[in-house]
Amino acid sequence: MTAPILNIRNLSVSYQTKRGLLRALRNINLQIQAGRIIGIVGESGCGKSTLISAIIRLLAPNARIDGGSILFKGNDLLRLDPEAMRALRGDEISMVFQDPMTSLNPVLTIGRQMTDVQHRNNHSKAEKLSRAARMLERVGIADAAEQLNRYPHHFSGGMRQRVAIAMALMTKPGLLIADEPTTALDATLEVQIINRLRQLQGDVGCAILFISHHLGVIAELCDEVVVMYAGEVVESGTTRDVFRNPDHPYTRKLLECDPARIAEATRNLPVIGGTLPDLVDLPGGCVFRPRCDRSIDICRLERPALRGGNHCAACHVAAQ
Amino acid sequence: MSTRRAFFTETFASLKKDPLGIMGLAIIVLILLVTIFASILSPYDPLEVDVYNRLASPTWQHWLGTDQLGRDVLSRVLYGGRVALKVSLVAISVSMALGMLLGMMAGFGPKWLDRILVVCFDTLRSFPTIMFALAIVALTGPSLNTVIAVIIITSIPVYGRIVRTQTQALRENDFILAEHALGASTARILRDHILPNIAAPLLILASMDVPAVVGMEAGLSFLGLGVSAPTPSWGSILNDGYSYLRNSPWPLIAGGMPLILVTLGFTFFGESLRDILDPKLRGKGGDS
Amino acid sequence: MSDLLQVKDLRVRYPLASGFAAMLNSKKPSYVDVVHGVSLNISRGETLAVVGESGSGKTTLAQALCGLAPVLSGEVHFDGKLLPLGKDQHLQPDRKRIALMFQDPVGSLSPRMTVRKLLAEPYRIHPGLSDDPDRSALNLLSMVGLGNDFADRYPHQLSGGQARRVGVARALALKPDLLIADEPSAGLDVSIQGEVLNLLADLQREMGLGIMIITHNLNIVRHVADQMAIMYLGRFLEQGLSSLVFHQPRHPYTAALLAANPSTDPDAVAERIELTGEVPGLLQRPSGCEFHTRCPAVQAECRMSFPAREGANGKQAWNCFHPLD
Repeated sequence: MTAPILNIRNLSVSYQTKRGLLRALRNINLQIQAGRIIGIVGESGCGKSTLISAIIRLLAPNARIDGGSILFKGNDLLRLDPEAMRALRGDEISMVFQDPMTSLNPVLTIGRQMTDVQHRNNHSKAEKLSRAARMLERVGIADAAEQLNRYPHHFSGGMRQRVAIAMALMTKPGLLIADEPTTALDATLEVQIINRLRQLQGDVGCAILFISHHLGVIAELCDEVVVMYAGEVVESGTTRDVFRNPDHPYTRKLLECDPARIAEATRNLPVIGGTLPDLVDLPGGCVFRPRCDRSIDICRLERPALRGGNHCAACHVAAQ
Repeated sequence: MSTRRAFFTETFASLKKDPLGIMGLAIIVLILLVTIFASILSPYDPLEVDVYNRLASPTWQHWLGTDQLGRDVLSRVLYGGRVALKVSLVAISVSMALGMLLGMMAGFGPKWLDRILVVCFDTLRSFPTIMFALAIVALTGPSLNTVIAVIIITSIPVYGRIVRTQTQALRENDFILAEHALGASTARILRDHILPNIAAPLLILASMDVPAVVGMEAGLSFLGLGVSAPTPSWGSILNDGYSYLRNSPWPLIAGGMPLILVTLGFTFFGESLRDILDPKLRGKGGDS
Repeated sequence: MSDLLQVKDLRVRYPLASGFAAMLNSKKPSYVDVVHGVSLNISRGETLAVVGESGSGKTTLAQALCGLAPVLSGEVHFDGKLLPLGKDQHLQPDRKRIALMFQDPVGSLSPRMTVRKLLAEPYRIHPGLSDDPDRSALNLLSMVGLGNDFADRYPHQLSGGQARRVGVARALALKPDLLIADEPSAGLDVSIQGEVLNLLADLQREMGLGIMIITHNLNIVRHVADQMAIMYLGRFLEQGLSSLVFHQPRHPYTAALLAANPSTDPDAVAERIELTGEVPGLLQRPSGCEFHTRCPAVQAECRMSFPAREGANGKQAWNCFHPLD
């Protein structure tokens, strides 16, 4: 088996805050094979934003890396100098954000921005524009050549996101990181964009790290899924395995709470009781234990490691 | 603990970390103390004349020398601070209060009122301060109150404009709509929901305004439009010092120094305050 | 059950450029119709869900019912009485009985006021409601399941779910008969969405409230709503009992919305109805049936006129020339 294109090993990140050290990520292990789509599922406080920021090395000033490595095509991103990292961003590693206006400059035309993205190659301007137009067509924007002359505010939210995706894929990156790209869009648009993304991924051949809290979208788009809770990876495996046979109690409860999955219409929707642990003052043992209904004694004492083969979970009960 | 108190303690704690801010605050406190206790601290009566000893250089008897009438410059500078204090306190608080009132009315009220007020603001601001002062003085004669009045009239539009912009921005927020939905009157909304949210930037502005106001007073007095002799004010000290520059530079230096100190002090402090109160500049405290 | 709220053909129109600009630029439209003829009924103890995507006008509809948006025409009957329309009618005494929960839970709470002050405020604005505003405020807190320790927090110190509950509490202060909740579960993690929705259901049971939920999340509609209405560009395209609409949608847009819901069962075959294009802007309102620009079943007559309402025994109604069956 070839080496994964992204290999995160034992990554720990914390933030220095007034109240103390906030341990946002603890011993994260995650691998992405080239050309595969991995989804990260997690709710607020799980650490997904910190994880992405760590990968592209744009963490907040009060953050610090406590340990671990992020290997991209064999190179540890954490040890790269800023110049080298900048060379990777936008070229080998691209991002799409929840708000397309994060990627789009409101005062430049789309065409200008899409040619700027290609600044690393030596093609003529005309060539770059035509490549841009073709990319726009592939994301489903009609009259692409005309649209290149327009500004972002002329486009609706859904179209802007498509432009952002087109821009991100223009350089044929090895890895595309998509941070909740469809969360702000209506359901019908979301579906369109997921379809396009899947097609494009097949053409461009990049790996995708897709973050979302929308379980259905992850199930539809992703080959594999990683479930995060309060700064740890609690379960990972193929989407079929994890969604069909969840091992970790959190994953199980999460799926139970999804209103789409509940067959009988009910006025009493399930919730996961309790609250997130305080990341500054973590309890010992398993981080999910206070909210778990299946905990045993050892859960209080020892933090469970990720156990299992391709489908693994960090749970003492599941390991039995 | 009451959150207002918590707010202050937290602000002071952050302030402590900024050396320039501490320095600014120290300078301000020093100036305030010295001014308030001028009568105790000053070695001489500022009006006491000693013509035989005029325009003397600094000596142990007169730390900053004497002016053209032999009056002790140090004492005059200390007492002059009172004028600066009075002017800045009165002028800024009145213009801030009125500017805030008019600004909120313009930002929150009907469009026609807004248009009228904006025209008034812009008109007042377009008058050069000196011309305006000259005009008023021509009518009422020079005095400290004239200076204060001129400063107030030319400052109101500045505060008013800023409050107007802030109010307009706030007005669009959901929570204002929520208050409307609840049946809150305009007065209540302005008092309880708009005012507290514009207070912080306004206070910062006011603190940064002190040097400007003190400078304006000094300038107007320098031109003879304000305080009349023999009352000491930093401006009048500068004026006299300028006339007798060839004989002794000390009165001029002495008159200018407090202005420099005030400017430095309030600017450092104001900037430090602004950095602290601006939430975007703080680091990330947690994540999702 | 008697109708608590009866709305007939409500229209909300916003003027664009006024004065000079409108005179000089006569080509541009001078108004936009955000709500374009909406009729609905809600009874006591019943929940109606208004489902629509962005641009459908659902939030404006909610605000119009609370007197916060300018109504052009139409009738609103509340508990049998005809309510006067027009902007700023929110101070009308009967309006107190309709409460609104805003979409942005934290943004709809005044940032420099504590929860205690926020909850006591309704009682201070309307002195007749309570002798002890502070005690009533704490009472509201417990009604929504929040402990007294929340009273001294500021809005930015609340999580999304907690802020939503404070929003519910505030809405309840005036003892409303009808509660309009704008996207009550949006932005909330799936694991706590149920908290707010269950709370609303409990309150409805205890107080006999009528509830109107505005949402774009069809998944929760199936559970929380007795009736539902699908809104597109200011009009309802289909409405009726949610169980009926869900299982047998008659309008192509309803069917597309229902199908646009990816399932967490990776083996489920997606019967995707992909709609072409995007929602047209309100200023470029298509002729006839507005949905014709994206409808997979579009025909010539759809462009000419808006289809009349057709109904099945009063429990489901739609506006379509070619309904599904």
